[in-house]
Amino acid sequence: MRPLLALVLLLQTLLVDPALAATQPLVQLVVTAPYVEMHSGPGRGYPVVYVVGRDEMLTVLFSRTDWYKVRAARGEEGWARRADLATTLLPSGEPAPIPPYPDFLTHRWEVGAGYGVYNHENLVTAYADYGITDSIDIEAVVQQAFGTLDNRTIATIGLRHTFVPEWKWISPTAGIGTGYQRISATVPPAPLESSNQMAYASLGARGFITRRFMWRADWRHYVVFNNQNVNEVLEEWKVGLAVFF
Amino acid sequence: MESRLSSILLAAALLSGCSWFHRGDKSRAPVPVTAEEAQTDPSIIEPQVTRRVVKTPKIKAKDFEVGAYFGALSIQDFGTNPVYGVRAAYHVTEDFFLESYAARSKAGLSSLENVFPNITVISNSGRYFTYYDLNVGYNILPGEIFLGRGHAFNSALYATAGIGAVKFANQDNFAINFGVGYRVTITDWLAMHLDVRNHVFESNLFGVNKNVDNVEAILSLTTYF
Repeated sequence: MRPLLALVLLLQTLLVDPALAATQPLVQLVVTAPYVEMHSGPGRGYPVVYVVGRDEMLTVLFSRTDWYKVRAARGEEGWARRADLATTLLPSGEPAPIPPYPDFLTHRWEVGAGYGVYNHENLVTAYADYGITDSIDIEAVVQQAFGTLDNRTIATIGLRHTFVPEWKWISPTAGIGTGYQRISATVPPAPLESSNQMAYASLGARGFITRRFMWRADWRHYVVFNNQNVNEVLEEWKVGLAVFF
Repeated sequence: MESRLSSILLAAALLSGCSWFHRGDKSRAPVPVTAEEAQTDPSIIEPQVTRRVVKTPKIKAKDFEVGAYFGALSIQDFGTNPVYGVRAAYHVTEDFFLESYAARSKAGLSSLENVFPNITVISNSGRYFTYYDLNVGYNILPGEIFLGRGHAFNSALYATAGIGAVKFANQDNFAINFGVGYRVTITDWLAMHLDVRNHVFESNLFGVNKNVDNVEAILSLTTYF
């Protein structure tokens, strides 16, 4: 019963339209092209339901992916294509404030996830990455490895260097970093240590897929600092898909 | 005589009129300018106008979607049970989105336990079935649905696939998942989803390693922001 109550409470909070609470004024644009088409939905297949002519005003309500929900002067609402809206002007004559696509060469943020193999075990990985420069990034990774003897949760932070960032489709990378792993045994006996600090060195590559997506591949060599005479050495490789901002 | 009188009156009228017109000139009495003042006095008139800062409002992007769901999860060998979860998505393009799910259910008794009540396959705490997924989704069939004559809602049939983890019987398992869903956008900020998804992982609960299918049918309510 408790989850149901929580769901009802969540729905109640959701049912207050956040747009109503917003006090920020909406962007008004003047059409300079012969016309701008308004579709019934945010997709290429949705039919055109209204057309705004040259010198007429448009109010932009919000955007979703490459589509902008707009309202014509007479109150009709529809979805305009990003490329069409980019030709419009503000009433002051300045270009419409359509943010440009993130540039792959100079992008700052990456968020991604992927699959890998860590010490011969299945690995689920997720990461966030901030570029200090075009070629040096700070990278934070959280991942979980599922083994036959134990499961490991790994969190690392490190620096990654992209050798030739202007190579768009494939560019080699290398990195170093440190982190922790937590070990829980799936079968007895319990592991000697439940958590260890680790350090890693990595080699990899990254590349552009589309305007928003990129791919990543990494091989990592870990040294696990334990209480035994010899440090444990592990290997990991992984591939992932990321979105850049 | 008469003309002399009128000329005097006229002169008096003119004088009073001139003084009337010049009544505001008292303040404009010439002020002697000293040599020092003449040096510091700027020759350019400084405009007293403050520059207007024009701030263009930003267009709000509503690419994120979060929500909650409930439904029925069929845990292989352990019956069908209610499941509650949360989901979050980021719409990258009009076709693709990234989505993450997390949910929990509690397994019932297995058929073995039903037939032999004295046998316990998993403990009570191990009956929780908890999962998370990291998925990629693709809108296969975007469209519209109509409610009577006056209402149209955007909709999409989509497919999702991804990887994640299932914790069941106190064991974490690597799991893959795939499914199809149907999204109806009720308002600009609210959507309803119906999804059917399968979580597959390898289990050895009954002594042999096998892939178990855990199919769920869920109803979600999400909000865009």
